[in-house]
Amino acid sequence: RRMLCRAAGPPSTRQLREAEEAAPVFQYAGKAAKRSDRVFVWGFSFSGALGIPSFVKPDASWKKPRRIQTTPYRLETQEKISSAACGYGFTLLASNTRDITKVWGMGLNKDSQLGFQRSRRDQTKGYEYVLEPSPIPLPLEKPQQTRVLQVSCGRAHSLVLTDNEGVFTMGNNSYGQCGRKVVEDEIYSESHLIHQLKEFDSRVVQVVCGQDHSLFRTKKGTVYACGWGADGQTGLGHYNITSVPTKLHGDIAGVNIIQVSSYGDCCLAVSDEGDVFGWGNSEYLQLASVTETTQVNVPRHLPFKIGKVKEAACGGTGNMVLTEEGNVFVWGYGILGKGPNLIETAVPEMIPPSLFGWSDFSPDIRVAHVRCGLSQFAALTNKGELFVWGKNLRGCLGTGRMEDQYFPWRVTVPGEVVDVACGVDHMVSMVRSFT
Amino acid sequence: MAAAGLAGLAGLFAVYKPAGVAWSRVREAVETRLLRELNAAPGRPPRQRVRFLPAPAPGGGGALELVAARVPVLADHPLVLGPRFRKLKIGAGHRLDVKASGVFVLGIGHGNKLLTDLYNCHLTKVYTVGGLFGKATDDFSDTGNLVEKTTFDHITREKLERILAVIQGTNQKALLMYSNIDMKTQEAYELAVKGLIRPMGKSPPIITAVRCIQFALPEFQLEIHCLHETQQYLRKLVHEIGLELKSSAVCTQVRRIRDGVFTVDDALPRTQWNLQSIQEAIRNCQLKVETELEKTLGHGENSPLHQLGGDMAEHARQERP
Repeated sequence: RRMLCRAAGPPSTRQLREAEEAAPVFQYAGKAAKRSDRVFVWGFSFSGALGIPSFVKPDASWKKPRRIQTTPYRLETQEKISSAACGYGFTLLASNTRDITKVWGMGLNKDSQLGFQRSRRDQTKGYEYVLEPSPIPLPLEKPQQTRVLQVSCGRAHSLVLTDNEGVFTMGNNSYGQCGRKVVEDEIYSESHLIHQLKEFDSRVVQVVCGQDHSLFRTKKGTVYACGWGADGQTGLGHYNITSVPTKLHGDIAGVNIIQVSSYGDCCLAVSDEGDVFGWGNSEYLQLASVTETTQVNVPRHLPFKIGKVKEAACGGTGNMVLTEEGNVFVWGYGILGKGPNLIETAVPEMIPPSLFGWSDFSPDIRVAHVRCGLSQFAALTNKGELFVWGKNLRGCLGTGRMEDQYFPWRVTVPGEVVDVACGVDHMVSMVRSFT
Repeated sequence: MAAAGLAGLAGLFAVYKPAGVAWSRVREAVETRLLRELNAAPGRPPRQRVRFLPAPAPGGGGALELVAARVPVLADHPLVLGPRFRKLKIGAGHRLDVKASGVFVLGIGHGNKLLTDLYNCHLTKVYTVGGLFGKATDDFSDTGNLVEKTTFDHITREKLERILAVIQGTNQKALLMYSNIDMKTQEAYELAVKGLIRPMGKSPPIITAVRCIQFALPEFQLEIHCLHETQQYLRKLVHEIGLELKSSAVCTQVRRIRDGVFTVDDALPRTQWNLQSIQEAIRNCQLKVETELEKTLGHGENSPLHQLGGDMAEHARQERP
């Protein structure tokens, strides 16, 4: 009797090919798939500056509080964040939207640098530490038309720049850094006061916070300053407090300034022709190329022969500039990025581009932006890679280790880094996904 | 004559391994061919010996007398001795698996000692890896069992190059981390600037450079420079690139085009696996190998170059202009 059925046996080539052609095709991304924008944070978390409450107050009993986040961690935000700033223990995130909520803040709020955050347990009191990104209510005239362009944070005050309603300031005003008259014995915590500044010669396009002073750069290229001036960081020719934004003169009078930078007590400004001007603290040789004094209270031109400067960044003790060719120069005191032997220099020293990934195999890598924290430096390349170096205070470098980094080191971020904001002991980066 | 053939066979040379054969078969094929040629060459003429052989006397019949004759010694007869060469010491350098092809370094005789030294130099190898978007299989190559099919029309060359840049970046970091240098020293900074930091011991596979040489959907080709890798790791890399691009990819071809100092031009194809070409190849590559070893491991009294043999080194010195 012939069997009508046959044992299966291994699949023949024809069967395999037909099975492959009949298999369903899955689609994970369409042709018009957009790259998503994300925010990554790392550093010291107990102040709440990272915006992740489970690090400070774990939501499950088996979880332990995480004091330091040593590698980049994703922060979920409702809107796309266009500008971020890190202060001394707090963070501000701003979005370019026309919605009512445009700015979120997290971290220390003991001087109302994040505005008034009403406590949910006691409606009359406010929070001292904000653990999650919470909206900051700005007193806008036209909240559904104004857009927030940029935010900046100092030691205990913050500035918010809008496109047609001027600058909003909040936080500590004991040195006039908020641009309003100093009130004696004012209590800054749980304060509802947000001051608005509108009197400038033209529209303000950049706001920068130093430790206890504020700098405003207008469209015409002038710079205004207010706040503490004991180190000359206001650049107004005296060492007193200024409580109203006043125009700077000195070597930048009549010069079109395109960028200002400050984080500690030293300030740098870049003109459209590529010259660098500096004023403020010079105890760490930041301005030693032009003067022996340790405080400079009038902007002075720094005659460096390094080429046309595109961007400058000031840290607490060290400064950094980026030239048009894409080279990075550092000077000052501290871990400057050229190995453990270079601790201080008054003249800018170039960091070799091979440390940023430049080689014969990839010759078109350039540094696109430079940023400074209090004792760290960060550089962004045109390929979207982030390099950090400096003192690793409480894990703020994001390298995964707790040791200081003496030369530029890549931070592994799952995406292309678009911008980074450096603080004292934490950093925030805005990242676009790859696909 | 055979001794002259054997003397030229001490050193390193490269062979082009075709795809579909195991590396051990290639090594055996080369060994068999060389043995055949060495045994085919006429050997030493057999020793002669004077023997007194009985021969019939010139006088009357029946009487035998001893006549001196020079006869070859039977003990030297080739049918008694057998083939002169039965085994050759051929060692293999970095291996290639069955599906891969490309430059395969072999060492003969005293050259086997140089193989360990070349391994300790930790030089990079260059591969040409071909990939195909749209499929995912269980062993990451196109001959495996199908796992999933996906669309790939959203992939552009720019997205692929972005992923490759990230791979290079993370592997640069791994390069610095596994090189066991203390990052806090000035020496580490100077080596990092020159780009000379490399792990000189065991480490996981590290890719020093990647770039895309061809891109025609659904196929693409990458050139990968790597250290301490296996070919299956490269296939897995192609699979992971597919995943990162929100699609899937399989590897169609892995071809090694450079192994340390040996390139495809130095590799002998199958038609040239004979004694003369191999001797020539050993002579041509000798200079390159010596300079590389001196540069990386340093020239010392115990250096294997001294032990290779005075006459070989002499020969090399004469060849240098």
